Amino acid sequence: MASSSSSGLTFKLHPLVILNISDHHTRVKAQNQHLSSASASSAAANGGDAATAAAALPPLPRVFGCVIGVQRGRTVEIFNSFELLYDPHSHTLDRCFLEKKQELYKKVFPNYYILGWYSTGTDAQESDMQIHRALMDINESPVYVVLNPSINHSQKDLPVTIYESELHVIDGIPQLIFVRANYTIETVEAERISVDHVAHLKPSDGGSAATQLAAHLTSIHSAIKMLNSRIKIVHQHLLAMQRGEIPCDNSLLRQVSSLLRRLPAMESEKFQDEFLTEFNDTLLMTYLAMLTNCSSTMSELVDKFNVTYDRHSRRGGRTAFI
Amino acid sequence: MQRQRERHSETAQRGWMESSASIARQTWELENNIVSTDGGGGGGREDPDAIYWYDEAAQARAHQEKPWEGDPHYFRRVRVSALALLKMVAHARSGGNIEVMGLMQGKTDGDAIVVMDAFALPVEGTETRVNAQADAYEYMVDYSQTNKQAGRLENVVGWYHSHPGYGCWLSGIDVSTQMLNQQFQEPFLAVVIDPTRTVSAGKVEIGAFRTYPQGYKPPDEPVSEYQTIPLNKIEDFGVHCKQYYALDITYFKSSLDSHLLDLLWNKYWVNTLSSSPLLGNRDYVAGQISDLAEKLEQAENQMAHSRLGTFLMPSQRKKERSRMRE
Repeated sequence: MASSSSSGLTFKLHPLVILNISDHHTRVKAQNQHLSSASASSAAANGGDAATAAAALPPLPRVFGCVIGVQRGRTVEIFNSFELLYDPHSHTLDRCFLEKKQELYKKVFPNYYILGWYSTGTDAQESDMQIHRALMDINESPVYVVLNPSINHSQKDLPVTIYESELHVIDGIPQLIFVRANYTIETVEAERISVDHVAHLKPSDGGSAATQLAAHLTSIHSAIKMLNSRIKIVHQHLLAMQRGEIPCDNSLLRQVSSLLRRLPAMESEKFQDEFLTEFNDTLLMTYLAMLTNCSSTMSELVDKFNVTYDRHSRRGGRTAFI
Repeated sequence: MQRQRERHSETAQRGWMESSASIARQTWELENNIVSTDGGGGGGREDPDAIYWYDEAAQARAHQEKPWEGDPHYFRRVRVSALALLKMVAHARSGGNIEVMGLMQGKTDGDAIVVMDAFALPVEGTETRVNAQADAYEYMVDYSQTNKQAGRLENVVGWYHSHPGYGCWLSGIDVSTQMLNQQFQEPFLAVVIDPTRTVSAGKVEIGAFRTYPQGYKPPDEPVSEYQTIPLNKIEDFGVHCKQYYALDITYFKSSLDSHLLDLLWNKYWVNTLSSSPLLGNRDYVAGQISDLAEKLEQAENQMAHSRLGTFLMPSQRKKERSRMRE
């Protein structure tokens, strides 16, 4: 059902959405777990067997919600999301609830439109198409974001997939099916800092300037390490291609060559000028700060000197402690 | 054979990198006394997600007992969830140079206030609007109702607003608003975020405060970390700075959050490298330098006036001089 999308839209996802969905899921799971453990413990107290109490973990519940954001031309940027009520019997989302929530969010974020919906689970299912169709009157081509909440430590990729719906002709009948779409993660500087902050639990209050500098350098260092490893992988791949071990992929070669051709951008005259101006400005400011620091220390020293060698005191000044 | 060796070296390298990354993280956590979240209140439960369970009975009991009435210094810590932090910072940043505000939802946990979520309020905050919250009550009621239906059961436990560019502290209006809140809506917390300084400093500028009741003399507190405050706000800061105290903020996240954030790192390391704080903060830095110049001028003038007086400088100028440590 999920082949690759051909609509040409680029999707950008913000980390806030991912955390939103994960929080929603954790909440519902925690509530259900406590409800089931409470009922299981009461069942055990009433004489039920220990086996049912042990195996009482309910299957991971699915949560549903709506994603909102901005669509500019061919770029769809998903900024935020909120929860929705799901009716498991009719397989539909509560419409008036959605509208009420949408009104509230419109007041605070007037630019964001409903771009689609999300749910947790492993893959897009048939029943989801109903919900998708219901949303199509708000947005002609809604997106469907799926988050896989099972924690699998061996996977390297984000367990988030974005599906679009496309009209395909299958067996002569035009049907809507879900097709997978590619997306990138987009962050604003502030978002990146807070995500970084929470991800690595850096000390938030002061610490000394040294620990903050260390933290900053550590994050830069790991980013550079990551860059290094990625370059190595591409390099190995190209070497293998050269030796003929893997079939030559021309599109990949084109991308690599365009990337390499961009590199000498830093050697141009104009860039060096701008860069050095920027550099000198920063150095000047640091120098200024140091100078002011020095003058303040100096004035403190003068104060202390004046206090100890006060000329107007009874001892007549210039009295040194022996 | 060579391919196998390469593949092995690749995986070995990856494995080494992962293990070194995890070792680095563990060293970090050890050095900074990060305690992983244990069960909220329940004895011995090691489930890090237990904090997400909203215990209605326990919360109702706490509300009845009101252990915070006797001690103005009762709440000492704040635990903010990853989601709440992200939402608040994103909202504060989106306001640009305008102060924005919102509410936080959560619960209490002994002497800690736990903030699970935050949402924005559709009011444009200016420092002169004392009762900005009155406009937003309808929004708040609607939002809380829909949230309860959608499964978020926590109550409003505080408010946050932003001070773009001038630091995390409570202004006079903020202090009076918070005192009012603490009289009628306990338990309540005030949080201030500075999105401009967050971006320029590379770490999150956030402060959590509670006010003392009128007339209460706080015991002498150790001086908190010094922060630079622009000249036009320094009076407001100084007059009220003894009327509230700051709480320690720690953060927590669920296991799924940690897992997702780890994976996210694989995607946004590019942004870490490509972000250039010099370019992004030009305006802010220019503003800070001009503010500094004004302060120096003021200091000089005061020195000229008191040339024949004492040689001891008043503490305000000392503060200005010592801000050069940046």
